[in-house]
Amino acid sequence: MLKKTWFLAILVCILGTGIFFNIPIEKRKYGLSQTNLTTDYTGLLPEKIDRVVTADNSAALQQIVKQANVEGQHISIAGLQHSQGGHTYYKNGIVLDMKTFNEVLEVNVQEKTVRVESGATWEDVQEAIQEYGLALKVTQSQSIFTVGGSLSINAHGRDIRFGPMAGTVKAMTLLTPNGDIQTLTHEQNKEQLANVLGGYGLFGVILDVTLELTENDLYAIQTEALKTTEYETYFNHVLDDPTIAMHYARVSVAPGSFLQEMYAINYLETGKQDTETPLKGEQGMRLSKLALDLGRQGGPLEDLFWTTQKRYIHSLDGETITRNNVMRSESTFMEFKKPGKVEVLQEFFVPVDAYADYMKDLGKLLSAKDKNEDFKVHNITVRYVEKDDVTTLNYAREDMLGLVILIQHGLNKKDIENAQNIIQQWTDLTLAHAGTYYLPYYRYQTTEQFQKSYPNWKTFKQDKLAEDPNEVFVNLFYDNYLSEEAAYEQ
Amino acid sequence: MNNKSTKYLPLLVTVGQVVIFPYYILWLKQVSLTFTMFAWLFALHSFAAAFGYRLFQKRKPGTISFIYIGMGAVYVLVSLLDHSFELLLYVVLILQVFLGAMQGYFRAWHVQQKSYHLDAVHHYVIVGVTMLGLSFMKIISPVVFLGLFGGVVCLCGIWEYVMKCTLRRKRRSLK
Ligand SMILES: Cc1cc2nc3c(=O)[nH]c(=O)nc-3n(C[C@H](O)[C@H](O)[C@H](O)COP(=O)(O)OP(=O)(O)OC[C@H]3O[C@@H](n4cnc5c(N)ncnc54)[C@H](O)[C@@H]3O)c2cc1C
Repeated sequence: MLKKTWFLAILVCILGTGIFFNIPIEKRKYGLSQTNLTTDYTGLLPEKIDRVVTADNSAALQQIVKQANVEGQHISIAGLQHSQGGHTYYKNGIVLDMKTFNEVLEVNVQEKTVRVESGATWEDVQEAIQEYGLALKVTQSQSIFTVGGSLSINAHGRDIRFGPMAGTVKAMTLLTPNGDIQTLTHEQNKEQLANVLGGYGLFGVILDVTLELTENDLYAIQTEALKTTEYETYFNHVLDDPTIAMHYARVSVAPGSFLQEMYAINYLETGKQDTETPLKGEQGMRLSKLALDLGRQGGPLEDLFWTTQKRYIHSLDGETITRNNVMRSESTFMEFKKPGKVEVLQEFFVPVDAYADYMKDLGKLLSAKDKNEDFKVHNITVRYVEKDDVTTLNYAREDMLGLVILIQHGLNKKDIENAQNIIQQWTDLTLAHAGTYYLPYYRYQTTEQFQKSYPNWKTFKQDKLAEDPNEVFVNLFYDNYLSEEAAYEQ
Repeated sequence: MNNKSTKYLPLLVTVGQVVIFPYYILWLKQVSLTFTMFAWLFALHSFAAAFGYRLFQKRKPGTISFIYIGMGAVYVLVSLLDHSFELLLYVVLILQVFLGAMQGYFRAWHVQQKSYHLDAVHHYVIVGVTMLGLSFMKIISPVVFLGLFGGVVCLCGIWEYVMKCTLRRKRRSLK
């Protein structure tokens, strides 16, 4: 056999293919560490912490909080650490690692609710509710985040009908900053919940939550390519069309059609529900990663990436997908590891009717041909966020469109300053259009921009000091924007 | 002239390959991320070499210059590859197949040369001496040696090609 050339050629092909599919995509090392410096998803802001406590029962957590009050220790809370501005740790502080506190406690099919510990991921929740034909009302487009982490940033995703995630919480068990365990509901604890939800772990540890659910409906995918100038009108039609349950759009950042072209994806009610289709896993991620990596090279390759993306999206037109599967898109392919470079997310919100003008002005600020520049915009996704009356640090004071932006830049001082400068100008532009920016990401913005974007910051700060006078729950985000020095820095 | 090149170039290339291989392995280990990946890539190289060997056995002996140039180009490319390049491992995967196949092909050709048995003795002695010599040199980075060797092998390929063309022209004019 070994004498046959074709046999050897096949051997090479088989092993080569095997290796190809085993080249790891997730190579990054980040996270909690006591021996090394702790970081979050970006690896930026490394910090030495005192210790990590793995959460496994509420009584032990209660003890730690009580002790911290007495001994003047600081505590931060970490889910899966996908927030990017040091929200999950603090210099020399204790970090509560919530990942193991992840049981789904009860699925109530009649009431359509699920009670779940806060360290569970959306994936855990989906796995528990799928068999009952149930689905989440609001979550990110990926299911890789913890419930506690997502509620503490008040996440949003593709759903356009159920308002902010905070509104889908029926009840919550909270370990308060003084070490009590309380059950909170919107009816009885409106003000307290307003601070905990979207409160970045500064008002205590969310232990478990009861979330409202909906049916795992089957949707038909509808796609549309359009000009950016047409989107505002188009989106208003989407909102007016009750058959559209979910929606998002993407804006071109390829040099040939920079901020000019978009495509939209709608998920249309089919009137059917689905109990058969299983939850999907990560599909085609190797190919997606290769395509994204090509796009990352910029220039004509980015144009090619955009055309391919459009073609791919168009090919989905008419396909059906379950609600649960819309809420668990692939994420691994986004992995980026290049020494000396970082990829970060930023999100800006503008009122729906300001979108067209905003995009026109944005075109003047950003460079379409960023191939040879350090600051590169790789992706812009557009989502809808409904007016939020539930949380204090609310990013949607009216109905807004959120632009999620994937940015790459260098890590040396000059590159970071350049990125900071562009993002601060971008934030000013957003503020000029009555918009805001999202807080879970890296803090390029100034304290002044934070205060303008979140005018309720003072109430938030006062309530924080009233609830947590010893400042037991802190993190780098708090230190940067809300500590005594920061708050009055401007 | 050509006799000399067919006599010495294969010797230089075989010696060079053995001498350079430790550096190549160091580099391969550095870029492989895990030992498993390293071992697989190594295995792939060997299978590709077996394939290359078989492939030559089925061909008539001809010019080898393109193999020299190909091998040289692989080593030069390796020395130029950016370690932070996102798709590095995919490129290494392809390089392993090429390099393995070319090395196998070259070995199959070499064993058919008249000078092979003499080369084998010289080869062991020269490798031993060279390795001893290199052990006294401080390695800055394996890629420096890989690049240098790549360049030399490429030159061998070009030399071989030019010689073959000259010989052919001479033969034609004699006719
Ligand atoms: C690739 C990517 C895509 C994203 N997409 C979206 C999106 O579509 N929509 C969106 O809104 N956001 C999105 N985000 C942001 C993401 O939702 C947040 O980073 C979210 O916080 C992630 O959850 P986590 O488990 O990683 O939380 P962590 O980052 O670990 O924590 C976030 C905050 O919650 C606090 N916290 C964590 N657990 C608890 C708890 N049990 N009790 C109290 N406080 C707690 C932490 O202290 C911290 O302040 C995205 C982020 C990434 C990296």
